[in-house]
Amino acid sequence: MILRKIFTSVILSVLVALMAGCTSQGQDQEKSQPSEQTTPLEKSWEEISSTAKGKTVSLYMWGGSDSINRYIDEWVAPRLKEQSGVTLKRVPVNDTKDVINQLLTEKKAGKTNGSVDIIWLNGENFKIAKENQLLFGSIAPKLPNVQDYVAMGAPDLQYDFGIDTEGMEVPWGKAQYVFIYDSKHVAEPPKTIDELKDWIKQNPGKFTYPAPPDFTGSAFLRHVLFETSGGYEDFLKPFDQQIMDEKSQAAWAYLNEIKPDLWRKGETYPESLAKLDLLYSQGEVWMTMGYDAARASNEIKKGTFPESTRTFVLDKGTLANAHYLSISFNSAQPDAAMVAINYLLSPEAQIAKFDPRHWGEDMVLEPSKLSTEEQQQINSIDRGVATLPAEALAKHKIPEIHADYVDYLEKEWKTNVAKD
Amino acid sequence: MWLKIRPYLLLMPAVGLTLLLFFGGLALGLLQSLGLFSISGGSSFTFEWYQTLLVDQAFWKSFWLSFYTAGISTLISAVLGILTALGLLRLSYKWQRMTQFALLVPHFIAGYVVILLFMQSGWVSRWLHAFGLIDSIEQFPILVNDPFGWGVILTYIWKETPFIALMVYPVLARIYQSWLEVAQTLGASRLSFFREIVLPLVLPAWLASALIVLAFTFSAFEVPYLLGVTFPETLSVFSYQTYLSGSLEERPLALAVNFLLAVATGFLGWIAYQWSKRWSVQGWKGW
Repeated sequence: MILRKIFTSVILSVLVALMAGCTSQGQDQEKSQPSEQTTPLEKSWEEISSTAKGKTVSLYMWGGSDSINRYIDEWVAPRLKEQSGVTLKRVPVNDTKDVINQLLTEKKAGKTNGSVDIIWLNGENFKIAKENQLLFGSIAPKLPNVQDYVAMGAPDLQYDFGIDTEGMEVPWGKAQYVFIYDSKHVAEPPKTIDELKDWIKQNPGKFTYPAPPDFTGSAFLRHVLFETSGGYEDFLKPFDQQIMDEKSQAAWAYLNEIKPDLWRKGETYPESLAKLDLLYSQGEVWMTMGYDAARASNEIKKGTFPESTRTFVLDKGTLANAHYLSISFNSAQPDAAMVAINYLLSPEAQIAKFDPRHWGEDMVLEPSKLSTEEQQQINSIDRGVATLPAEALAKHKIPEIHADYVDYLEKEWKTNVAKD
Repeated sequence: MWLKIRPYLLLMPAVGLTLLLFFGGLALGLLQSLGLFSISGGSSFTFEWYQTLLVDQAFWKSFWLSFYTAGISTLISAVLGILTALGLLRLSYKWQRMTQFALLVPHFIAGYVVILLFMQSGWVSRWLHAFGLIDSIEQFPILVNDPFGWGVILTYIWKETPFIALMVYPVLARIYQSWLEVAQTLGASRLSFFREIVLPLVLPAWLASALIVLAFTFSAFEVPYLLGVTFPETLSVFSYQTYLSGSLEERPLALAVNFLLAVATGFLGWIAYQWSKRWSVQGWKGW
């Protein structure tokens, strides 16, 4: 009995000591944070590069694409290591929100020596990160390659889903939403959301979309919203719940109308884009989609998608956005992280990324600022049989809308469509 | 005195850390589900989130789904598990080791394998089609991502059966070693030996392992996430979606679900403990 009492009291005291240790540590760190944080941003680029040597940085990024993963692991990492002595460690995540959640928790706990150095993000996640001060600071003005090659003031780069980036994140690439179809089964791809509805009705069970809040599924909702409510322009204004309740009615009606003719009669939706791709590659559905114009060509090359795979955009345009790299507020190696991001924005890394053998994604650099040699190199790259020509894509771009709308649509989709 | 508390002191760092991280996390979750220390700012005590949950029909649908998929999986795995263990008694050591491999496969990989095998365009369906047993792959029954949850149940059965088998196997082995010959000399048949001696002796271990499986399958996330339907989803998936979706304001709701799940799991654990205590008090200890 006495033993048990001693046991409990010792445990309790250890617990108290541990907790006290945590909080006091947290306070210390908060005090020292500002000075620590500002130093790398005040240093010159030479100082930053020399501090960075020999350090290891982690890059937390969505890990759902083999070609992207290979580009980082096999192309970027060895070259970065050789040129600047920085080791890049890729950490795959299923959803960038997981990283944001981790950082929120670390912020609350006052943890300063975080494991996350670089994050790949945009949109909603950037909004949360910025609002909660999860980012390191205005890094863009520090990076030579950003200054030399990126048009930071351009509206499609400066505003991330309607939110001013303030240089806290640096654009890494541009993405445009395309629909992917199997031309063996779809002779004439639809050009509008209405035509898509007709196609779905004529081919029951051969279409579906990932269940929001999946990133791609959520973007599909926005296309439906734009075309059923008369254009995206209305949604560039600040969010208004009442207007939105009215405007979204037609979209919910549309989605419920196609529901009985979707894959599995709309009783369930693929929980992720990866699942939709699996269904497509197995021939269960005849269309998939996604924010990567060159993905279809890449998948054909790998043999997962059928040779007859092609892509299309809507006449009224598909969503286009930029995605960004940023540094976490508690990065242990901010200098090395800046060096790594700077390298990812170098002409050689961006051109390699543009090449479909690596990734095939749009560059974020201004082609006019590159050397003639580099420009020739870009023009000679074959982007693959299923990738639409750059002009066709550029002509059909529409901007992303404010993240509040995205939240709203994802939440209401469940009530208005999934539960019905 | 020193010698007596020494082992406790040596255990302290490990136990302390576990307690801190486990109960600390649980307590923080509880506080946040009550509206305190909210991550979106503000802190005021409220039962609002629990109220929202308990009057929400979707919550009860999720609860029922989690409950019956866990229940069916547990029942079938328990029966198959003890049969497997009985089978293992007759096999060589090498084969016994083989069954342990099933335990090494993580649940989400098991779930993915079930999808690849049993989706309508999956391997099984294609084999059946190739052998002419079905005319088209659409005729293959919908077994994964089905509204009832067969895909989830199927995955749990193949993951939990070996677990229960390995939990009861050592007990069975001991019973057979020490009691079978005695019983036989006293004239018991194999069946009556099983009914009169094996079953009562193995019951505590069997029930306890079944309850562990029930508690796990009731609250686990990855399998229903991969193999469930969009709506209704199990409680764990419901909590995950709420936690992830957009705004931070709804986070207490997700944590409220998690806390209720933790309470349910704790309750099942408590029953398991009570049972095992009752059995040991009744004097089965000495065998």
